[in-house]
Amino acid sequence: MAIDTNTLKYLDNVPGPFYVFELPVRVWHWLHALSISTLIITGYLISSPPPSLHGEASTHFVFGYIRMIHFIAGMVFTVGLLVRFYWAFVGNYHARELFVIPVWRKDFWTGMLHELKYYAFLTRKSSKFVGHNPLAQIAMFFTNVLLGLFMICTGLALYSQGTGAGSWADRMFGWVFIIEPSSQTVRMWHLFGMWIFLTFVIIHIYMAIREDLYSRQNGVGCIISGFRRYRDDGPMGPQ
Amino acid sequence: MHAQETFYDVMRSHGITRRSFVKFCTLTAAGLGLGHEFAGKIAHALETKPRTPVIWLHGLECTCCTESFIRSGNPLVGDVVLSMLSLDYDDTLMAAAGHQAEEILEQTIEKYDGQYILACEGNPPLNEDGMYCIQGGKPFIEKLRHMADHCKAIIAWGSCASWGCVQAAKPNPTQAVPIHKVIHDKPIIKVPGCPPIAEVMTGVITYMLAFERMPALDRQGRPKMFYGQRLHDKCYRRPHFDAGQFVEKFDDEGARRGYCLYKVGCKGPTTYNACSSIEWNGGLSWPVKSGHGCLGCAEDDFWDKGSFYSPVSDLGVTGNVEHTANKVGGVIAGAAAIGVAAHAAGTVVAKATSKKPTATAEEEIR
Amino acid sequence: MAAVTTPNGFELDDSGQRVVVDPICRIEGHLRIEVNLDENNVIRNAVSMGNMWRGLEVILQGRDPRDAWAFTERICGVCTGVHALQSVRAVEDALDIQIPTNANLIRNLMMLAQYTQDHLVHFYHLHALDWVDVVSALSADPKATSELQQAISRWPKSSPAYFSDVQKRLTKFVESGQLGIFANAYWGSPAYKLPPEANLLATTHYLEALDFQKEIIKIHTVFGGRNPHPNWLVGGMPCTIDIDNAGAAGTVSMTWLNMISDIIDQSIAFTDQVYIPDLKAIASFYKDWGFGGGLSSMNVLSYGEFPAHPNEYTNHSFMLPSGAIVDGDLSNVHDVDVRDPTQIQEFVSHSWYEYPDETVGYHPWDGVTEPKFELGPNTLGTKTSIEQIDESAKYSWLKAPRWRGHAMEVGPLARYLVAYARGREDIKEQVDSLLSELGLPITALFSTLGRTAARGLEASWSAHKMREVFDELMTNLKNGDSATANMDKFDPSTWPAEARGVGFGEAPRGALGHWVQIKDTKIDNYQCIVPTTWNASPRDPQGNIGAYEAALLGTPMANAEQPLEILRTIHSFDPCLACSTHVMSHDGKELSSVKVR
Repeated sequence: MAIDTNTLKYLDNVPGPFYVFELPVRVWHWLHALSISTLIITGYLISSPPPSLHGEASTHFVFGYIRMIHFIAGMVFTVGLLVRFYWAFVGNYHARELFVIPVWRKDFWTGMLHELKYYAFLTRKSSKFVGHNPLAQIAMFFTNVLLGLFMICTGLALYSQGTGAGSWADRMFGWVFIIEPSSQTVRMWHLFGMWIFLTFVIIHIYMAIREDLYSRQNGVGCIISGFRRYRDDGPMGPQ
Repeated sequence: MHAQETFYDVMRSHGITRRSFVKFCTLTAAGLGLGHEFAGKIAHALETKPRTPVIWLHGLECTCCTESFIRSGNPLVGDVVLSMLSLDYDDTLMAAAGHQAEEILEQTIEKYDGQYILACEGNPPLNEDGMYCIQGGKPFIEKLRHMADHCKAIIAWGSCASWGCVQAAKPNPTQAVPIHKVIHDKPIIKVPGCPPIAEVMTGVITYMLAFERMPALDRQGRPKMFYGQRLHDKCYRRPHFDAGQFVEKFDDEGARRGYCLYKVGCKGPTTYNACSSIEWNGGLSWPVKSGHGCLGCAEDDFWDKGSFYSPVSDLGVTGNVEHTANKVGGVIAGAAAIGVAAHAAGTVVAKATSKKPTATAEEEIR
Repeated sequence: MAAVTTPNGFELDDSGQRVVVDPICRIEGHLRIEVNLDENNVIRNAVSMGNMWRGLEVILQGRDPRDAWAFTERICGVCTGVHALQSVRAVEDALDIQIPTNANLIRNLMMLAQYTQDHLVHFYHLHALDWVDVVSALSADPKATSELQQAISRWPKSSPAYFSDVQKRLTKFVESGQLGIFANAYWGSPAYKLPPEANLLATTHYLEALDFQKEIIKIHTVFGGRNPHPNWLVGGMPCTIDIDNAGAAGTVSMTWLNMISDIIDQSIAFTDQVYIPDLKAIASFYKDWGFGGGLSSMNVLSYGEFPAHPNEYTNHSFMLPSGAIVDGDLSNVHDVDVRDPTQIQEFVSHSWYEYPDETVGYHPWDGVTEPKFELGPNTLGTKTSIEQIDESAKYSWLKAPRWRGHAMEVGPLARYLVAYARGREDIKEQVDSLLSELGLPITALFSTLGRTAARGLEASWSAHKMREVFDELMTNLKNGDSATANMDKFDPSTWPAEARGVGFGEAPRGALGHWVQIKDTKIDNYQCIVPTTWNASPRDPQGNIGAYEAALLGTPMANAEQPLEILRTIHSFDPCLACSTHVMSHDGKELSSVKVR
């Protein structure tokens, strides 16, 4: 792309489309979506197991599988986030949006203020963006990065209880239990984190679809094709 | 000082043969999970050493640790007290009282400065200048600090001394604190549990006497040999956990078949203790085996995790009111879903009514 | 104060030498006793000071009532389980939950085991050293000891060689110079009356009992998973019984039932062949030491225990009846209603708590408690270094419970007196036969030794009762009933918005009650009045003294420096100070005033 989207300012009238989400980012997104869905479902079942199956214990492994799927999904989630972090270095400008919040930029804050007003129905003018809008970017940072790391640390710390003292998980994540000695508490905060993730997922999906239906740009399509397309040729700023 | 008697001397005088003595050492080694090669070391240690003085203090507690201690089957507590160590002060068992009892503390410091083991059951309250626990007219914490200053190492018996336990549960009116919060300059071995298993207690102490060293401790200061694994890891009901076979309520069909107690609140999966391997009262049974879930009594703050009958616990953010992660999380996610639906409806309405205003706006712009 | 007479008829004179005993060892918890002696070393004033407060009832507020048993069980680890039992009873009472027959039988069995074990440990390990001179045992003739043993009992461990071995062990122990728990005690005091042979016998049994006590409580381990602090359940018992099916090996099955049966046999043998004969032998040497009666000849109280019929907590059902005896009138036993606000009340005029009006008392359902630590003007020392307490002001962490305004004594002796006065044949027979054997009148019971004797008789009674209850359990199982829990109302959604209940019964140390109020499925108010609060009670606004203080009066001390006599009498009550923790406001608002620094 010839245009440096980094320098795009409001009111610049640029037609697009822009290539925003590179293939690895898109693949990561959908893999992440899958792992999070799996983690939420299995995580909930771990906290509240399904009704018992009768018969010999040796013929069933239901809860074992639920936990195994949870662990596998957790590993996919962890590795995915690590790879995604790596891609922030080598990918395009938008690959860094998740990790770097441009708090120093005035237009980031004015943009966010406007988004807040827009979603609160206080204004009907909407903006166009190349990557994430400022509000979305903050939400992405807090859930996908901070909450994601929190879930990885607590999750692998809890995992280390099964792998035992001295195992890799214990050596890398056992420090969690220095901060919070009660593993039941760690477990509960991990479970609570799941609900925050679910809350994020609900809002995220809604926003993406809403974007497709009512905004001046594409939403879901963007993370499928990677291209940001606009519905009008107007300026980027609120219209 | 008199010539000191060794364990072996005492045992021989007790009519114990060499053969029984060696058997005892083997059992002790096995009890410690150490294997036969250590039996010789224990035997050697017991044959040659004078008895180490132990000062056993009681703060705010219920004496369940002492009661558990006297339930020890291997070794018998009579042998521990008469032959293995010198329990010079323990207000629950000692014959003396009043100032005769308190003098022993000073005598011990004088004779064994830096050599005795301080065992502490219970914990000191800090509120009201410590006067929620008075001993000899003074706050218990003074006694604890004084005796800690001169000891070699401290054993924190039970969850009170290790974590705070029941009197430190919210709102902790006496401001009771575990001893590591007030003693910072001595090695502390935490032996948590409410109470700890008898043989774990005697195991820890005989380990220290036999090997003349502190047991290896985990991150949280507990002996690895007894607190290295969760109950869950060695639970005989574990196959039912993996199979997804749970007791749904007490005395149901699942309970009769010995299914997993996780759904009725067992905290075995998050509790580090030796109950499922060593078991209680001479290896007879343990809570899960008897049909009740583990309360998690060896864990920090286990009182403040919500109902003992729920697999999910209190988040601990709202005091005593039970707020489990699933409840709070469910409300948040539910609110998000409702919010989204409302917002979507709002959007549709806004869009439907926006034809005109948009035109107006456009006119205004023009 | 010079000499005063209390409303309950005791003369107090604090003009003589003050003796302070703190800590009182060989008890549960922390207790201080101060006495004044006259010129003849006779105790003329006694002050009992509860030295600890943990605030468990404050902590219980807002919690799940089904969890309360676990919290209250931690009130005491010595009489473990007794609080848990009253707690589940209180919640069952509030929610109208009926427990199955097996659950009632198992609970009775566990409590009986607790009585037997607790009394045994008390007698040998907490009390015996007040009567038995361990050092004197070193000079005993093992052969004479063996003869003594064989004369009083058919207990098989009675050979001269056996006693000789124990003696050698003791000798070596003493010669090591490391006396451990026996250090600095009162050996050789003229207050010890036993001949060396009896001392060796008792010391030997001290060690035997230490080994054996851990067997009795295995009954708890089978049904409750462990001891101390076995598990309980609102609605029944958490253990399942299956004697037939595939899961049987993992539940309470034939193997464990056999084991319990064996333990019961051993318990009967030990109490009847060791404990009771020792008790008689020791008592026969101390017959002249008739001190320590205190309130026992006047006011005693029992709530009743061991319901023969499930869910029926009345004298029709109780194997040990409830009742109150006032002013020593054994012919008129009053009925006790723990729900009646005019019967049981607690006062705080001499306790470190605050009431708006401290001349009145509150029933536990209306209790107000706010800790207030302050010392009287005549206290010697400072706030954190008390040399001598001022009993005219607040002086204890215990409240002063009263029954219709009377200070009461509770415990095995109280239970036995009530049962005796109520004409219970099994108890009468036991008591009468002991008294006639020792050649003593019934009034001999009103003493330190009477308390100790009643405890021993009760241990034996409990061991035998275990056999009966176990047989009933087997019969019930034979009839095909294996239910152990009623879970119909376990789910909080089935509960009323507000409920209140009381769990009451008899702990080994005496009358124990738990009062609970439940609001919106949470504990709104929780109150316990425990045996030691009755017995170790400080004075009330009228100046009535409690059982400890009363029992110490008039006792001559052989040596003012050696508080043996004080220990004897105080130990005869089997104090449990951690139990006597108190606090909770009716509406919980006072909670905020608890200063947390």
